[in-house]
Amino acid sequence: MSESVRAFFDALAHGGGRMLRQVSGSVRFDLVRPDGVDHWLVTIEQGRVTVSQGGVADADTVIRADEPLFLRMAHGEVKPLPAWLRNDFTADGEFRWVIMLERLFAPPPGARHPRALAARQWPAGDREPR
Amino acid sequence: MKKMVRILDGNIFALSEDNGDMAFSPTSPSGFFAFDTRFLSTWRLSLDGERLHPLAIHEPSYYEIRFFLVPGNPTHYVDAKVSVIRDRWISDSSFTERLTVLNHTGEPVDYVVRLDIDSDFAPIYNVVWPHASSLRGYRQVSDDRLRLGYQRERFHRVTDVSTSEPADIDDQGLTYRIRVDRQARWSTTLNVRSMVLRPDGADIREQLRHGHGQVGAQLRHDLRQWLSDAPRLECDWEPLATTYNRGLVDLAGLRFSPLALPHETMLAAGLPWSATIIGRDAILACYQTLPFVPRMAATTLRLLALDQGMVLDDFRDEEPGKMLNEFRYGEMAAFEERPQSPYYGGADVTPLFVVLLDEYERWTGDADLVRNLEDAARAALHWIDEYADLRGDGYVWYQRRNERTGAMNHCWKDSPEAICYRDGRLPGLPRATCELQGYAYDAKRRGARLAREFWGDPAYADRLERQAAELKQRFNRDFWIRDGEYFALALGPDGDQVDALASNMGHLLWSGIVEESRAPAVAGHLLGPGLFSGWGVRTLGKGQARYNPLGYHLGTVWPFDNSLIAAGLRRYGFVAEAGVIAETIIDAAQHFAGRMPESFAGYDRDLTRYPVPYPAANSPQASATGAIFLLLRTLLGLEPYGEHLVVHPAIPQRFGRIELLDIPGRWGRMDAIGNARVTVP
Repeated sequence: MSESVRAFFDALAHGGGRMLRQVSGSVRFDLVRPDGVDHWLVTIEQGRVTVSQGGVADADTVIRADEPLFLRMAHGEVKPLPAWLRNDFTADGEFRWVIMLERLFAPPPGARHPRALAARQWPAGDREPR
Repeated sequence: MKKMVRILDGNIFALSEDNGDMAFSPTSPSGFFAFDTRFLSTWRLSLDGERLHPLAIHEPSYYEIRFFLVPGNPTHYVDAKVSVIRDRWISDSSFTERLTVLNHTGEPVDYVVRLDIDSDFAPIYNVVWPHASSLRGYRQVSDDRLRLGYQRERFHRVTDVSTSEPADIDDQGLTYRIRVDRQARWSTTLNVRSMVLRPDGADIREQLRHGHGQVGAQLRHDLRQWLSDAPRLECDWEPLATTYNRGLVDLAGLRFSPLALPHETMLAAGLPWSATIIGRDAILACYQTLPFVPRMAATTLRLLALDQGMVLDDFRDEEPGKMLNEFRYGEMAAFEERPQSPYYGGADVTPLFVVLLDEYERWTGDADLVRNLEDAARAALHWIDEYADLRGDGYVWYQRRNERTGAMNHCWKDSPEAICYRDGRLPGLPRATCELQGYAYDAKRRGARLAREFWGDPAYADRLERQAAELKQRFNRDFWIRDGEYFALALGPDGDQVDALASNMGHLLWSGIVEESRAPAVAGHLLGPGLFSGWGVRTLGKGQARYNPLGYHLGTVWPFDNSLIAAGLRRYGFVAEAGVIAETIIDAAQHFAGRMPESFAGYDRDLTRYPVPYPAANSPQASATGAIFLLLRTLLGLEPYGEHLVVHPAIPQRFGRIELLDIPGRWGRMDAIGNARVTVP
């Protein structure tokens, strides 16, 4: 497995994602490499995240993705939900975990705080709509 | 456009001409749709090369239909020697049609029955907003099946057409060459299956424990149970009963099972084109119907919390804590040509989430859900201060960051020109519409109650109440137009008043942000000649430069808007005015067979004597359907008070007596009975 994958899961185990306290369940990631498949199990217990690596454990949802795509999602470069709609990865189990993947991954790079945009245009901004 | 007929089951539906045909053209909405995709765009029957025309159409329920057809042109004298019956129904993710050919002659006859079949696999967005579309994808013919498929990278949609009787199958349809005995009949059953395939050949919906809506289908089709669970209405004025009963049936038809909560149902925003989660409509319809059918509110709140924004994302106008505006599953969402995966461009949904959560607990006593959603509700309240207050002045503002495909207006009046000055100019961005401030005020007050009573955080409750009080004071100072004595529609980017006279003001009464001393002037405007048409309150007042009785948000009358306005008037003690709105809106609905339309034209009542329908895409529409329920609550003055239901009727003469029996709530079941009397406000 790549160092980047391990680094991501180590950080997730340490940082805990952005799970709400009311969330419990498990997601298994089956990451496909040219020479095999790595399994990672992410378990969430009332918002607390633990990670284990290894076998084909039972999980609420199994996400199967190529490792490079997984890393791009993990780094916030590819949004999970449209990627799922495109069949760029597959999900078996509960759809709610496809929605909540975003809470485990990094935010999209370069996004702006809405105030930053408003400040740019106000008060000097044009008043007529573009 | 020709009148279309349709059948549907949640977000799966078929739309055709009145002879059952679907004929492809770039602007035709006909077809078989599932998962925000058109799976069939051509489905055209002929008999010996002749098209058929309908003698009768029978619609026993919303998911089945029967066409009685004969060959030839409708202007001919009908003396058909042959007729055709098309029985069509929707179930699971399939569309099924049984064709029956009846030979009425005394001789055996040979017929050629032909069905032309094709698809453009258009995303639903391109059907609602017609774009140049073309037939596309691949075709595969086998002995018993025609497969139409469309593939883009790994995205794959397939329509499989199979037949129970042998047919000659080519890549554009099926041909049956049959002989039917004298006075006999012949039948075949065609099954059209929509498939959303993954690279491994599995249907993605089947991999999500969703069961293709079967669970939901059972729930939905159990209409009798649904109706018997709802309160029973007995009343003197027939139109009220008609509209109420129509509303209950329409709510049943609007239910669907979201992918993420496959064993529960919530309301789609509108049928057929908005058979999806639209946050604002889902919340408002739940609020309106809480005293009648409270269970869907819990599903709606949980689903929205699941989809709550978590990060900053410019393309989706997403921010942490924000509630979604719209969810779509089609090709344009998949390939990010449109941002609905999901899209967060609505500034009202988030405060309204807190409003609904509190109102839900007041009616049902479901404290568990309030505790379960504490983090989500706190994040929503935090969003108001951190991500909506764009100018740091304590107001809710909006400005899209997705300037290409995002919405210009992030409020219920979301058409591009809906927010305007009296003289017709459009303000720049950001904008702060008035009703958003009311929602934020209400959310903070209700959030304070939840924090104090359920979250054990009185300090937070105090802070929210203090903020709400400051907001109210500030709002009544900055939005009040002294000359005209009404509230500005919005503040523009310089903090100046966007001074159009609009219905949004009525929502302010509903939220309670209006100072008591100003309420009479507001009520006067709402029932005055500029805003009140005689059928209800217009979205924009006559006399405003952009007023147009047919303008979507610029002069039409919306029943959902009026139901909130009536509730607001009642809240401030204007019971007669609330009664007038209830009466006129229910009156108007009678011109639509008791079904509340999304909107109708804003012409003066004495000009047209008839509420002119606005050509709406969706019927029924959830929040329009919900209007009758909130109006009824308003007339009877229903309010939960602790463990009790308080009933305080204020009913106009026209209604006579109203009895609403078995109202569900934390008290079990209760009756409310009211008699009309002359009330002095």
